[in-house]
Amino acid sequence: MNAASFIPWNKLAPWGVYGGMRMRGLFGVSAQLRARVEVQREPLYRLAYSWCHDAALADDLVQEAMLRALDRAAQLEDPQRLKGWLCAILANCLKDHYRRARPLEPLDEEMPSHAETPEAASASNQLAARVRAEIGRLPLGQRQVVTLVDLEGFSYAAVGEILEVPIGTVMSRLCRAREALRARLMDFAAEQNNKVRSIR
Amino acid sequence: MSQQREVSQEMQNAFVDGQLDTADWTALVERMGNDEALRRQVCELRTLKDMVKGAYADARPRRAAPAADRRSWARVAGLALVFALAGWFTHDATDRGQAAAQRHGVAANGIVVHVASSRGEVVDTALQEVEDYLRDARAAGRKVHVEIVANQTGLDILRADKSAYSMRLERLRAAYPNLTYIACHQTADRLSEKGVKVTLLPGVQFAPTALDEIVKRMQQGWVYIRA
Repeated sequence: MNAASFIPWNKLAPWGVYGGMRMRGLFGVSAQLRARVEVQREPLYRLAYSWCHDAALADDLVQEAMLRALDRAAQLEDPQRLKGWLCAILANCLKDHYRRARPLEPLDEEMPSHAETPEAASASNQLAARVRAEIGRLPLGQRQVVTLVDLEGFSYAAVGEILEVPIGTVMSRLCRAREALRARLMDFAAEQNNKVRSIR
Repeated sequence: MSQQREVSQEMQNAFVDGQLDTADWTALVERMGNDEALRRQVCELRTLKDMVKGAYADARPRRAAPAADRRSWARVAGLALVFALAGWFTHDATDRGQAAAQRHGVAANGIVVHVASSRGEVVDTALQEVEDYLRDARAAGRKVHVEIVANQTGLDILRADKSAYSMRLERLRAAYPNLTYIACHQTADRLSEKGVKVTLLPGVQFAPTALDEIVKRMQQGWVYIRA
């Protein structure tokens, strides 16, 4: 069982052994921490959506992640790591979802994405829709790394902790992802290039 | 091969992602001063990074209700004991559950059982525990309510066309009027979007989302149990 999963109700220890610990942890959740968790709802959805490109599934995943976080609040010892902790729970929710849906397929293989979602269809920005479609073509592991770094600004080390992979894997996945995106979006990148100010 | 071309992709990525230490960062900047190709590559990486960020700028939860969400976390802290009770409650006599609830000022007059999986062992355990609890409560003359909330693949157990438990659920509902079944509308919507027509078993009600229903019940002092 991974750290972010629920303990089934028939596996819980009796009150005196376990319940007290959970109670202390949950009562210890400060209002400040709760407010910070609430702030993460939208970033969590954005990440979930970028991983699955399915708005309804992203909603489900965020809901599930929040329920799990709620159950495991006692495990968050360092509030400074809240965002990474929530993202790790979200990643596990997605992993569990795909495992349930297609248990025989390896998780890091390229998966079909749902590029034609309501979000994509209604996107006023054609470029955004195209970028989403290309990100959807990346294998899940690469998709997760590139979005964690680019959307949420996580360090490579933090991404490694969230996805439970070595930092070298993070770097190589990021490298492959950006190479693929660069090749597929070269024309767009060239157009955008002129708009970007020169680097230092 | 020129020295400029030896700058690896990993190094370029680390540069645009701010992952280099000061020495490496300075060295790379100096090198870019003399290497137009490298400058262009790094610039493309930065553009790509901006494009990825921009592509999801308008991705927002469709069903999120910010005001309700803010309340939900406040409720959770106030009802933290409920979680603790859940772990204990399922393992011991209900009398102890009542005593603990009264001691801590929480009225454990209801249980919300969350079923998010249609796996046989999960559903069988949940239904068996629910039936045992309802039978014991009736024997003890206690008024309790039990609500089974199903979402994700767990919704299958409440679907007329999919459920392998329809007869058992109907028998339970007939025997215990204080047992209700709630389906997650969000999950049903998701299935509908995929062209699946969702028909529920008789008597099953909808909630906007499983999370909404669970938080609502917890606010009312119910015990939450994840099957």
